[in-house]
Amino acid sequence: MERTDVKRNHTEGYSTDQIRCIEKSDPEYPQIMKQYPSMPAKLYVKGRLPAPERRTVAVIGARMCSPYGRIQAFRYAKALSEAGVQIISGMALGIDSEGHKGALEGNMPTFAVLGSGVDVCYPKSNRKLYERILWENGGIISECPLGSGPVSWHFPARNRIISALSDAVLVVEAKENSGSLITAGFALEQGKMVYAIPGAVTDDLSRGCHKLIYDGAGIAYCPEIMLEELGISAAKVTQNGEKNNLGLARDLNMVYSCLDLRPKNPDYIVRKTGFSPAQVSNCLVELTLRGLIRESGRHYYVKDS
Amino acid sequence: MFASVLSAAIFGVEVCPVQVEADVSNGLPSFIMVGFPSAQVKEAQDRVRTALKNNGYQFPPKRITVNFAPADMKKEGAGFDVPVAAAVLAAFEMISPQVVSGVMMAGEIGLDGEIHGISGILPIVLCARSLGSRFCVVPYENLKEGRLIRDVPVAGVKNLQELVECLKNPEPYLTRKIQEEIPSIINTDMGMDFSDIEGQEGAKRAAEIAVSGFHNLLLIGPPGTGKTMLARRLPTIMPGLGFEEKLELTRIYSIAGLLSREHPLIDERPFRSPHHTSTPQAIAGGGRNPRPGEITLAHKGVLFLDEMPEFSRASLELLRQPMEDKVIQIARASGTYNFPADFMLCAAMNPCPCGYYPDLNRCTCTAGEITHYMGKISRPLLDRIDISTDVPPVSFSQLHCGRRGENSAAIRKRVEKVQKIQEERYKEEKINFNGQLKSSLIDKFCPLTDSASRLLARAFEKIAFSARSYHRILKVARTIADMEGDEMIASHHIGEALSYRAFDKDSVIK
Repeated sequence: MERTDVKRNHTEGYSTDQIRCIEKSDPEYPQIMKQYPSMPAKLYVKGRLPAPERRTVAVIGARMCSPYGRIQAFRYAKALSEAGVQIISGMALGIDSEGHKGALEGNMPTFAVLGSGVDVCYPKSNRKLYERILWENGGIISECPLGSGPVSWHFPARNRIISALSDAVLVVEAKENSGSLITAGFALEQGKMVYAIPGAVTDDLSRGCHKLIYDGAGIAYCPEIMLEELGISAAKVTQNGEKNNLGLARDLNMVYSCLDLRPKNPDYIVRKTGFSPAQVSNCLVELTLRGLIRESGRHYYVKDS
Repeated sequence: MFASVLSAAIFGVEVCPVQVEADVSNGLPSFIMVGFPSAQVKEAQDRVRTALKNNGYQFPPKRITVNFAPADMKKEGAGFDVPVAAAVLAAFEMISPQVVSGVMMAGEIGLDGEIHGISGILPIVLCARSLGSRFCVVPYENLKEGRLIRDVPVAGVKNLQELVECLKNPEPYLTRKIQEEIPSIINTDMGMDFSDIEGQEGAKRAAEIAVSGFHNLLLIGPPGTGKTMLARRLPTIMPGLGFEEKLELTRIYSIAGLLSREHPLIDERPFRSPHHTSTPQAIAGGGRNPRPGEITLAHKGVLFLDEMPEFSRASLELLRQPMEDKVIQIARASGTYNFPADFMLCAAMNPCPCGYYPDLNRCTCTAGEITHYMGKISRPLLDRIDISTDVPPVSFSQLHCGRRGENSAAIRKRVEKVQKIQEERYKEEKINFNGQLKSSLIDKFCPLTDSASRLLARAFEKIAFSARSYHRILKVARTIADMEGDEMIASHHIGEALSYRAFDKDSVIK
């Protein structure tokens, strides 16, 4: 697919501030949605709708996700986006936000389907992301009338739109009774491909994904496997995000090798390395400043990829 | 006939001398009290009259007037019974007015003539010292407390009979021995030591730095990891108190009525741990006649706020001013009171409402709940807490490794050394510790090596902290450098100080 057709300006007819109401009879109403029952009669759109000629993947998962899930959501979304796939998600905290951010990093428009009115940014802390999605030629979509608040029963309903708009659904991290599994259920009903990213069997946050895999979902062990299924040839195989030979000093290297994608606190590193707390603190600060690790919560560190 | 004795009234933590005068004249028989006595003090007339009658003193029906001078401030408390009784007896010439003049006395009298102990004896005796009184008469119960001041003769009396005898011939009462009571076996501080804490090397290190520089400390960790245990042991690594400091503390505790009879001198640094339901008045001090609050009782010691986010906003925010000024000013209609409040704040909190974040297998909180929980502690308050450290869960193997850490005495020795360095450095300034450094003094006292300033510049850019945090990091780095005896702050001091900075609201979940 050519990438040049994505114009990064706002001269194509509608401004990002303009909110349109698209009825089912309108030619603009996504064709892909018309084939399913119980689709909304009206769609409110701020910005654009996903381009029908492009492949679309939904990246969804838990709000309270682990650093592992966060990093994978970003990485998969970025890799897919770089190959010309549009990413669609729900702009919730956690996996959803990371999916959007990864897509923006991969230079493709991304689309958010909200459980509130398109003019209501929920959660409020995602204001910046909301603006960025619109600025980068993406769109905010909702079936809720303007001004409606984010009420809990809107969310399962908006999930059917997410799955309907996409060609494949990727579940990154989900607990056993997560809302992401509702989306995956809709996707199966609508005949879409469902993928899940595996994790450790001991992690509650991966149980939902493992259940999906057990039920027959695809194992998305790397982004390329999904691109292939979507009929896009993967140009290059991305690295697993691990930086190995960094040429670090001995003490930095020892501290760095204690860390992974699960949050570790300095006390754990003190026990593993036998260094003094002062020395460990120094190493952690140095590694943070070099951008090799980051604090996932106060006093908890993970490797940064 | 006219007679006058000396007593003292308590205002906040200060004491004002009060002259108690009595006069007996002809007229309609009555007992009148003037000179702005409170209702409590007025009740003295019935207690005194009944007690005197029950002890065989018969008064002719005359007009008795008792005056408290100065008359412009309200007198509170039951300690005026003894001076009133002595003044009345002298006014009736049952004892000579000469023997009562220039004697400081205080105490409460029962209807049977027994003299009961009161609070605030130590400051009253201190007041007698400054006034140059001949001697003091205090309830026998408070004798031990009164005798803490060596250069004032103090007599202890048990009842009215003894009071009269003591005034006529004080000698045997001034040298009266205090009968030692069996000391209570319950000693809460028994055997508390830093070596009791297994593991938690990082938290222990942070605690040592905090105590060395008198920095405020925040402990974050899941339930049951030893936050309270660590905090309770902080006073054991603080340097001992000087005698003047002990007297200052004892004075405060005496007024608050918290001294024990057997061991009236406060000789250990206080540790106060108010419950999170405490009202702002309980923490700051208050009431119509203000009494010292928790922050004043924690003077020279540790104020421990367990479950800090559970405290009411008002209770937390009031700490801001005393944390800066080391004194709290309480204004009431009756006047403005200054209470000392030079405490080290140690706060403990969980990382989230359920306590287990970032262990996502156990944590049941939503992102919003965590942000809300952390947000309960305001930015300005966090800005006054120099050191934040986590107290992680301890594994079984750590608990059973049998290796005990350093004991408090060894740590205290190091702390004393570091505090001496600071004392020397700040002898020209109004501060004593690195934790009290104001931004204007930081440039003067925190010289950085080249590599240290380079590291700080990199960190400033990458972590994007505020100017306030910048100063906090320098203050902590100053203490770490002092612990190593370095004059200049090197990069590894900055590096460690950076790791103790408080959390930002946005850095809570990532």
